[in-house]
Amino acid sequence: MSAHQPQTGDTTGTDTEQAAAGRATAEPAGSVSGSTPTVARAALAVVAGRAAGALSRRLHRGGGTSLPGLVAQRIYPDVIAHLAAQLRHGAVVITGTNGKTTTSGMTAGALRAAGRRVWRNREGANLLRGIAAALIIRAQPSGRLRWDGDAAAVFEVDEAAFPAVVAVVRPRVVAVTNLFRDQLDRYGEVDTVAERWHTTLRDLPATTTLVLNADDPAVAALAEGFAGHVLYYGVENTAQDGGADSADGAGEVVDTRTCPRCGGVLAFAPRFYSHIGHWSCPDCGEARPAPAVAAREVRLERLERACFTLVTPEGDARPITISLPGLYNVYNALAAATIGQAMGAGVEAIVESLSHFSAAFGRAERIAAGDRTVQLLLAKNPTGLNEVLRALAAVPGPLHLLLALNDRAADGEDVSWIWDAEVERAAGFAAQVTVSGTRAFDLALRLKYAGIAPARVESDPAAALEAALVATPPGETLYVVPTYTAMLAVRAELERRGHTPHYWEQRDAGA
Amino acid sequence: MPERKRAQRADDMADGANGPDTTKDGPAIRLGHLYPDQLNMYGDRGNIITLRRRCEWRGIALHVTPLDCGEPLDPAAFDLLFIGGGQDKEQSEVARDLRKVKGAALHSAVADGMPLLAVCGGYQLLAHGYRPAEGPELPGAGIFDAMTIHFGKRVARCIGNIALDIASPVVGASGGRSAAGESSASSAGEHLDLGVRTLVGFENHGGRTYLGPDVRPLGRVLAGHGNNSEDGFEGAVYRHAFGTYLHGSLLPKNPHFADHLVRLALERRYGAEEATRLITLLDDTEEWRAHNAMLARLGVLSASSTTRQPAVRS
Repeated sequence: MSAHQPQTGDTTGTDTEQAAAGRATAEPAGSVSGSTPTVARAALAVVAGRAAGALSRRLHRGGGTSLPGLVAQRIYPDVIAHLAAQLRHGAVVITGTNGKTTTSGMTAGALRAAGRRVWRNREGANLLRGIAAALIIRAQPSGRLRWDGDAAAVFEVDEAAFPAVVAVVRPRVVAVTNLFRDQLDRYGEVDTVAERWHTTLRDLPATTTLVLNADDPAVAALAEGFAGHVLYYGVENTAQDGGADSADGAGEVVDTRTCPRCGGVLAFAPRFYSHIGHWSCPDCGEARPAPAVAAREVRLERLERACFTLVTPEGDARPITISLPGLYNVYNALAAATIGQAMGAGVEAIVESLSHFSAAFGRAERIAAGDRTVQLLLAKNPTGLNEVLRALAAVPGPLHLLLALNDRAADGEDVSWIWDAEVERAAGFAAQVTVSGTRAFDLALRLKYAGIAPARVESDPAAALEAALVATPPGETLYVVPTYTAMLAVRAELERRGHTPHYWEQRDAGA
Repeated sequence: MPERKRAQRADDMADGANGPDTTKDGPAIRLGHLYPDQLNMYGDRGNIITLRRRCEWRGIALHVTPLDCGEPLDPAAFDLLFIGGGQDKEQSEVARDLRKVKGAALHSAVADGMPLLAVCGGYQLLAHGYRPAEGPELPGAGIFDAMTIHFGKRVARCIGNIALDIASPVVGASGGRSAAGESSASSAGEHLDLGVRTLVGFENHGGRTYLGPDVRPLGRVLAGHGNNSEDGFEGAVYRHAFGTYLHGSLLPKNPHFADHLVRLALERRYGAEEATRLITLLDDTEEWRAHNAMLARLGVLSASSTTRQPAVRS
């Protein structure tokens, strides 16, 4: 199905890209052309990359978010290592199945509140070339970073590209959010991904700080054999059963069932969702590590906000309200707070920035569409969809929904996962459902077996959005639950209608 | 009482939004779900949901019992068995249990005509064995006369959408062996006649499976890889046991095949006549739309030529 081209300038993974990533790490500096001095080569790479990006933007070819990186890497494969080494405050690399974009947005916010200049890679440009692009657009024709490198970089990185990126960026902090089944056709099975990450982390120097989710057993186990400092984060307890009722999630697929050390069947008390919770192994005694940064008394308030008490290693206990739904966003906030700690941002800056954080691109993002509101809730794997549906269930209904399932390369071509998600939950709150995407018929069928009759099935996302908005009464909200490229398509249609700015113009462009 | 509780857990697991069992005294199918905790990758849950709904829509109850590692299998307690796919780590645990605990009972059940669906990893585990590129061979239950070989990481995995023709003659399908051997064990020269002759799904497997003479393939590959990406066949059939690499999930988009399993289970429990009475026609418009959309995308057969017996619209 390689004929399906993703709609942005960057896919989140193609074979050629992975091959390019492999080449970049395999070749030592200067090996491409021994006669060209390194600095001149880096300068040439920067100039060519920036020119390509500018041209692409002028031609409106998807914003050119990672083209500069692609071009520069061709000219000088070590361009990332060359530029990353100039970052005076180092780089943060964030990976994991869910929560990368939101966590990196929150992290950037915390570091900025602490007075740092922060450079990020573009949303979705999370492969090696996206990282290269992020550095190149901040470099001068001399091959030196602007501001003499007086900045910190925050990079969200694709799970499969993570080893190659870490090898060249040499990050100061590495954070892993969680590990769920996702795009099995591309990433492989959960155990395979965990093993790849583990090998990567073991090779890092002791100067690296590792930030891990204590409540995910597969992620917590990554600390084993790691040479540097480890900071865990986790949720201590919730003040209500709304987001953490274990009976409610009895049907959920659990991706990490057994002890990472001995293979025994894990016990959870409590289990918040999927395999996230307070885990322990009855066989060998391995258990959830005590988190350094924790959330206590989590209260979820519909789709609008989550409130909790943030506990830091210094013993601070600070009440925080974030304007994002669901327990999964509390985990994202905890990850950002912990990274902020590791990067030296004070608790004031962290609390201040988290309290003012607004939704990342397509992640619970609210967009005014005339006299209706559209809320985008990206869902690209079973756990992600379960958590979105759980959050929607807390909104007083019935709700108007647009669900969109694409099977392009960046979504994963295997749509079996919709059968692993608790779509049945939507039967309780769906008023009218529009189904869209390249696999609209599969999604319609999934809904049928969940006891929901879609009001309309329309493969084309633009037409589906139009129909769903017409069917949503003025003053009300249309909740859009799309996969990744479906989200881009819906957002592009909203842009076309003048409801939202182009995303590549939106974020820290001049920083 | 623990039996009942476990069945309830399984019901929750298959389909959380289900109400209470309203057909307690009506007809029922007892499904044994082998190793649901270990083997639940790739939307296996969709197969159970589909069986449940298609039974319920006909006033038939589906009782699902999880059969975990260490628990014995009592063939008399079931009308249908299902085994899905899982990760490598989980599969070796299951292989051990098949060898030590359930293997013999499973053998006699299938020999006795028990309908069984084995998908992906489950299909491999129920064959003779799995030979990895390096390391020891993982012995299987030997239900299917087939062997799976992994040729190492340099050989690409078989990944992608797939369509099968299940109604074409299968002579010579068994990896070049003579068709004569087939007649002894499987029903000679038989192919599935389910009205619609195609199956659609998604495959993702590193191992290549080669059939022996005592099984016939489930179908001929119209698009995709199939058992081994060489001989053009997919899956294995032995009596009423079906092994296949198709997920997607398999049963939702292939309602004829789902109903075939339901029918076999009903026949086993209530006899052919009663089974025919219970298998009422359903409105499968959405099912065929998804099925035909995939056929059209793969460009293997025009949607109209695939349906000898079009979906009934009620």
